[in-house]
Amino acid sequence: MKSNSLWAIVILGGFVGLFFWLRTIDWVGMFNIEKHTRDTEEQLGDLFWEHIGDEGDQITDSATVATMDSLVSRICVANSIPREHIKVHVFRADVVNAFAMPGGHLVVNSALIEDCKNPEQLCGVLAHEIAHIELRHVMKKLVREVGMSVLVNMTTGGGDGGQVGEVVGAFSSKAFDRDMEREADMKGLDYLVNAHVDPHPFVDFLYLTGDGESDETLEWLSTHPSSKERMEYVLEEIGKRTLSNEVVLHTTTWEKLKESVQTNVKTSTHAI
Amino acid sequence: MQTALNAPLDHEMEKASNSYLMSLLALLVGAPLPIINLIATLIFYLGNRRSTYFVRWHCTQALLSQLSVFFLNSYGFWWSVSILFTDDTISNEYIAYMITVGLFNLFEFISTLYTAIEVRKGVHVRWWIIGDLTDLICKPKA
Repeated sequence: MKSNSLWAIVILGGFVGLFFWLRTIDWVGMFNIEKHTRDTEEQLGDLFWEHIGDEGDQITDSATVATMDSLVSRICVANSIPREHIKVHVFRADVVNAFAMPGGHLVVNSALIEDCKNPEQLCGVLAHEIAHIELRHVMKKLVREVGMSVLVNMTTGGGDGGQVGEVVGAFSSKAFDRDMEREADMKGLDYLVNAHVDPHPFVDFLYLTGDGESDETLEWLSTHPSSKERMEYVLEEIGKRTLSNEVVLHTTTWEKLKESVQTNVKTSTHAI
Repeated sequence: MQTALNAPLDHEMEKASNSYLMSLLALLVGAPLPIINLIATLIFYLGNRRSTYFVRWHCTQALLSQLSVFFLNSYGFWWSVSILFTDDTISNEYIAYMITVGLFNLFEFISTLYTAIEVRKGVHVRWWIIGDLTDLICKPKA
């Protein structure tokens, strides 16, 4: 029995020792797993973008593109985010929405720009969505909802158009979970502060988009933190920061942007 | 570890050897599912409960040997499932665990194959620890 115990210890020790020794090796780097993951994300982004690009009415006039680019660049430069990571697209749509897609595609609906009272509010939304991209929430959400096997299948040509449409519909209409939203709010706030953008208007935007909420009991049933809850924790966090705000856009440029994305349809839905 | 034993009959050696081969065959058939080879060995064990001591003893040792890697393989299996179907990602820990488990399985595979060959020749091969556990479970009939 003594010999058995000794052997049991040797075998168990061998297993644990081997495991701990092997885990010190950077396998992820050795097998380029990060790169493969990024490549898969890029391929998915292109696939989804192809689907959305075909169906949507993208606004491509120079005024809109230049202004949106300048806002995104401001956030990226101030936060050491490679500018090429973020590809911003503006669509003519009557739903107040902005969402991040795999591969760094950031889609902003024209109705959202129209709904913003000032460029700081728009920057707040952009910073929040960029945070989702940088924190890799998009892929995490996709993998959680449809599974890695399905996504890899799509990138290797196994998915049909209907399946792609379903997945695109899922991430453009459903919110991230509460923890991810909170994390993106906090990260987005960091981005705004670093870019010298006043974060208070973003809180106002949350207030305005959340004014339809009345039943507080639903807050815990939702996967998305309520706007009221988001306002509270964002405001609390702002209180801890030292702000040095600067002008984001000249009034004329802002007005021009709003004009160029104007739609005639009355906005009704909010989802960021 | 090998010990001499009263020479078993040819059909006993064949059955005892098959109990190990069963797990190897099942491993090849249902490689991704760690439960398959355990079930195959369990079925073989149940089917030979009333057999001779030599056969029962080796069926029991084969079953216990499968049980020892079953838990390691199951953990690896569900870890892989969580990577494929949840937001869990491939990490250095995951790869290290899979290599470790893979090496243990390889060692177990070779040992099982060696045991199957030796038992077929009538050699009573006892595994460390598992052989003694088998002694506790499998007693000669009075």
